[in-house]
Amino acid sequence: MKRLFMNKFVIGLMCTLLALPVMAQEDELKDLPGYVDFGDLSLTYGEPKITINLGGTMLNFVGMMSSSDSPETSEMISKLKGIRVQIYSIEENADAAMSQFGDTKSQLKSSGWEPIVQVNEDDEQVLVYMKAKDGNMEGMTVMVVDQEEAVFVNVIGQLNPAELAQVMDKFDVNVDLDVD
Amino acid sequence: MNEYDEKWEEQINALLDGDLSARDAERLKAEATDDRELARAIVEAYQLQRAMDQVHVERAPRSLAKRLNAIPREHRSRPSFSLLQPRWAMALAAIPLMVIAVSLMRPDTPSASEIAQARQELAIAFAYLDKAAVITGREIESTVGSTMANAVTGSVNKVIQSENLTSKEKEV
Repeated sequence: MKRLFMNKFVIGLMCTLLALPVMAQEDELKDLPGYVDFGDLSLTYGEPKITINLGGTMLNFVGMMSSSDSPETSEMISKLKGIRVQIYSIEENADAAMSQFGDTKSQLKSSGWEPIVQVNEDDEQVLVYMKAKDGNMEGMTVMVVDQEEAVFVNVIGQLNPAELAQVMDKFDVNVDLDVD
Repeated sequence: MNEYDEKWEEQINALLDGDLSARDAERLKAEATDDRELARAIVEAYQLQRAMDQVHVERAPRSLAKRLNAIPREHRSRPSFSLLQPRWAMALAAIPLMVIAVSLMRPDTPSASEIAQARQELAIAFAYLDKAAVITGREIESTVGSTMANAVTGSVNKVIQSENLTSKEKEV
């Protein structure tokens, strides 16, 4: 009996220790007020084609690296606490994505998020929500579902979309997205 | 051996062991009086028991007894390798502890390649945000015309910007 208890205790301890680093990474962003849970569409569409989870620490380093050649980019990044992106290829099967779109919309409404822009087209849905408290922007959520992909972006912290286009050129990364 | 024989054999054994009740003993005795075969069986069993009692028990030499006692130990199945054994489980539990300890000792500074990767990911995130802005701008433009669209998108940006300005004012 004593040995059995010892085995269970040791196995339980091992599982807890192995899960600790993963939980810590998730919790870094989950605890922030601008965080949004987009759910999981991998059962329908498979793993996301793009998943981005950048926390405040890493964004600080990116901002510091940009400070010399682009102070405005550095300034913009310094206001961010985290940024998350999930993009699924949906291949003209938008049902699950639209369902998730609706669930997230309800979740945002019930937790104090305000709709900023909404586009309801037959083949394209765009939703931009913002959360602010006491005049401070806490986060922005952008969801786009079209015939090819479902895009979920969660910006945690402050971001001015007007500045976005200005700093895009500063990133020497070729990102060509089809917006037709 | 039929049922009859079995019954008397049990009775005889019980008699020799002293376990037979007085009543059954009387019944057995009465039966043996009429049944010569039964009487002979009782006598033979009694004689066999006396003979067995007279057999002297010889003690085995100490060395032989030792070797015989060692046989079960030598043939006991060796414990197989099992992760559930406490020593292995403890050893395995130590591995994640070491990983955590090493990661805690590492400086928090990410490498240049990790920062470059993060920068690229940030560019992708911004590109998708920009894409959403283009789509919404185009939709507004097609609905209300370019002049009004600029006014609408401008006012939306102002709303968002005002939040930042308010927070900046508060900081000041």
